[in-house]
Amino acid sequence: MMVTARRLRSIGWMATLVVCVALVMVLAFRVNALRSQVHLSQAKIIALKQETMYLETEFETRANQQQLKTWNDVEFGYVAPIASQYLDNERQLASYAKPIEPDAPAPIRVASADDAVVAAAAFPAMVSPMTGRPVTGQADSDAGAAVDHPGAPAKADDDDAPKVTHKAAFAAGLAGLGQRLGTVRHAGHADGKVKTAKLAAKQPSGQKTKTASAPVKKSPSLAVVQKSPSRAFAGHLVQPKDRLASADQRHHALPAGKSGTPLIKIALRDEKTAK
Amino acid sequence: MNAYSPATKIVPAAAGASRPGAATVSGVRHPGRRYLANVRLLSLQTAKMRLVWVVVGFAFFTLTAFIRIGQLGYVAQTPDHGAAGDALVPPRAEITDRNGVPLARAFPAYSLWFNPKALGAKGQPLVKTPEEVARALAQIFPEEDYGEILAKLKAGNPTYLRRRVLPEQANKVFALGEPALEFPRETQRFYPQGSLAAHVLGYVEEDGRGKLGMEQVLDARLTDPAHRADPVALSIDARAQGAMEDELSRGMLETHAKGAAGIILDVDTGEVIALASLPSFDPNRGDLARNALVFNRASNQVYELGSTFKPFTIASAIDAGVVTDMAVRYPATPFKIDGFTIHDSHAFGASLNVPEALIHSSNIVTAQVADKLGGQRLRDTMIALGMNARPTIELPAKGFPIWPKGEWPRLRTMTVSYGHGIAVTPLHLAAGYAALVNGGIWRPTTLYKVDPAHAPAGRRVFQASTSARMRQLLRLIVVDGTGKKADASGFRVGGKTGSAEIAGGHGAGYNNKTAIIATFAAAFPMDHPRYVVIAMLDEPKATELTSGQRTAAWNTAPIVSRVVARVGPLLGVVPDARRDVDVSDLTPLVANGDGE
Repeated sequence: MMVTARRLRSIGWMATLVVCVALVMVLAFRVNALRSQVHLSQAKIIALKQETMYLETEFETRANQQQLKTWNDVEFGYVAPIASQYLDNERQLASYAKPIEPDAPAPIRVASADDAVVAAAAFPAMVSPMTGRPVTGQADSDAGAAVDHPGAPAKADDDDAPKVTHKAAFAAGLAGLGQRLGTVRHAGHADGKVKTAKLAAKQPSGQKTKTASAPVKKSPSLAVVQKSPSRAFAGHLVQPKDRLASADQRHHALPAGKSGTPLIKIALRDEKTAK
Repeated sequence: MNAYSPATKIVPAAAGASRPGAATVSGVRHPGRRYLANVRLLSLQTAKMRLVWVVVGFAFFTLTAFIRIGQLGYVAQTPDHGAAGDALVPPRAEITDRNGVPLARAFPAYSLWFNPKALGAKGQPLVKTPEEVARALAQIFPEEDYGEILAKLKAGNPTYLRRRVLPEQANKVFALGEPALEFPRETQRFYPQGSLAAHVLGYVEEDGRGKLGMEQVLDARLTDPAHRADPVALSIDARAQGAMEDELSRGMLETHAKGAAGIILDVDTGEVIALASLPSFDPNRGDLARNALVFNRASNQVYELGSTFKPFTIASAIDAGVVTDMAVRYPATPFKIDGFTIHDSHAFGASLNVPEALIHSSNIVTAQVADKLGGQRLRDTMIALGMNARPTIELPAKGFPIWPKGEWPRLRTMTVSYGHGIAVTPLHLAAGYAALVNGGIWRPTTLYKVDPAHAPAGRRVFQASTSARMRQLLRLIVVDGTGKKADASGFRVGGKTGSAEIAGGHGAGYNNKTAIIATFAAAFPMDHPRYVVIAMLDEPKATELTSGQRTAAWNTAPIVSRVVARVGPLLGVVPDARRDVDVSDLTPLVANGDGE
């Protein structure tokens, strides 16, 4: 029994040894296989790097300074940037913003330089062209956006008036143009002939578009306002009633005194375009 | 098993003797048991010893294994890593520009080798007739000589037909179907930018030695096995160099000039951003005759650079306190000295002040200022500007100035003041102008990239205030004077024209009235100078394109303007029309007018 047990143990040890050796050999083979793979990969990497270098050199050669210059002379004609193409800062960039389109929303003005000038010059502040009375804030902007209409009551800057105009516009079959429509009357026509035109009176976002009908009359107050330096903006006279709509349409603005407000001119032109 | 061996049988007796008590007790009663007990004890001891040995062995192997694993994991590198990396190390290190653009690299290019034994040792080496093959090869390589190729093919000796072949040319040759034409890949020096900066780089001869430019200077460094893997960065900017060469060659063509040179220099570090000499050569083409083209006009040839020296004289005079008031007027009528009449290109009226003298480039007034300054002080300034020695540059091609030795007599002082009687290289001039505008510090020029934080200290030549005044005056020359055509919009260029007549050999005087050296030395932007730009044309002719003029104001000034406009944005100078050096204190002193 003892001999058998010992022999068994020996066999067991031998078996263990054989297994261990086998495992070690398997491991060694695997390691060597992996090592060969690494070698292969390295060789591949080197070959690729060399290929990259060839291609890079070829690219550099084909795109060398003289070649680029020749191409530029023949094909592209690029020139070095000039001073006016550089921007100093974001502020300068902003100054190149898109010019305001005829039907763009009125810019939001928060500075009150005009009012300070008005105060200093002891001119009457915002005066309603219709009533000749000083107006303030909301009412004034309504008046600015509004366009005269003979049928409307004299107090055109009442909040109720625009709603009426809306209804009239819809009824006139121009509903498709929605809130940007208004009825205008040419200021030069004293006979009260009414013309309908598309208005460039879109309000800033968040503000409901309002159009108004008001009677046209060359009131003395309008004349006063037209001459008022407080309405001058960058050398152009800006009329109070189109202050919001066209204050920045300086290239469209007509000199004061000519028949028709700039706003109406724009509106008429737009109408033609629409047709 | 060892317990039954005869050798171990002796041991129990000895063991028993060592323990008398135990032996006595068992020996008296059961001698057989005593023996057995001894055997058992011995077996146990043997087993224990074996166990210990096995354990020690296991421990040893385990430890060894762990140590090996640890070593592999942490200490040892992957085997053959270095050997594999070596394959990527070029036999000659790369040369790059300051931005890493390769200017010269080792490239395994194709060559064309004629192996007559490719079709077997016997019989014809070629499939077609040698004439047909030679004709086809001459078509693929138009610059090769048909006769030469034919002679090589007929001789039947293995030889190079061509050292360098482009891949597409190799494809065409392969399409001929001649096995005797082989394309071994050989590592050669290749210049991807072609002739760009050829005089700076030089070339490598077939024996592998660098010649002429930085290839020669850096030969040991480039082939050093320890450093071959690292490229050498030069101070050159390939884009600026390209623009400079391009504009110079345009200027040369426009004026039918013999040659041209151009330099762009960083005023604060002395780095050469571009150094061009035309006509140039292609370092890739070892087969072409280079001898006539390798001459470097920018650093090797000395010229009398004429009026471009006037600012040095004026600066020296301001620095020495000789000129304190810019409004002081000097007579502007020609005068005689030592039998030599000093005159201007044309009359500028009875008198001129210093700004006007610079604007109109008056020799007469500059000579008077130099006379007041004195020869010694002007000479000291010139020495401080390095005008009496070869230019400080790494290139082997460095010209020695023609430097008037000894004490300068009055006439010599006066002629040197407007750039005659002294001949220096355009590189000297560039370094001098850098000192003139950078606050007064002269620094050696270099072709190595310099860390701006560790720029050489240099030496002070002019006071900072003098330099500031010179910036105004140089700007004024471009705004109101002879350098108007150099005024690249928004770059605030300042500079000075120089149109120097070329002296005949052996003191023959300035008899050749048509041959001049036209130079424009400029710096920009003048409100904070960053770069000096020098453009020089060797013997330009008056052509329609230069409005029938041959002076610097008409040919080199426009070159500088175009170069500045092209390289300014690349070198980080933003054109700005609303910025300039303030010249308002000088403007009232200047009456309008042009001169040279």
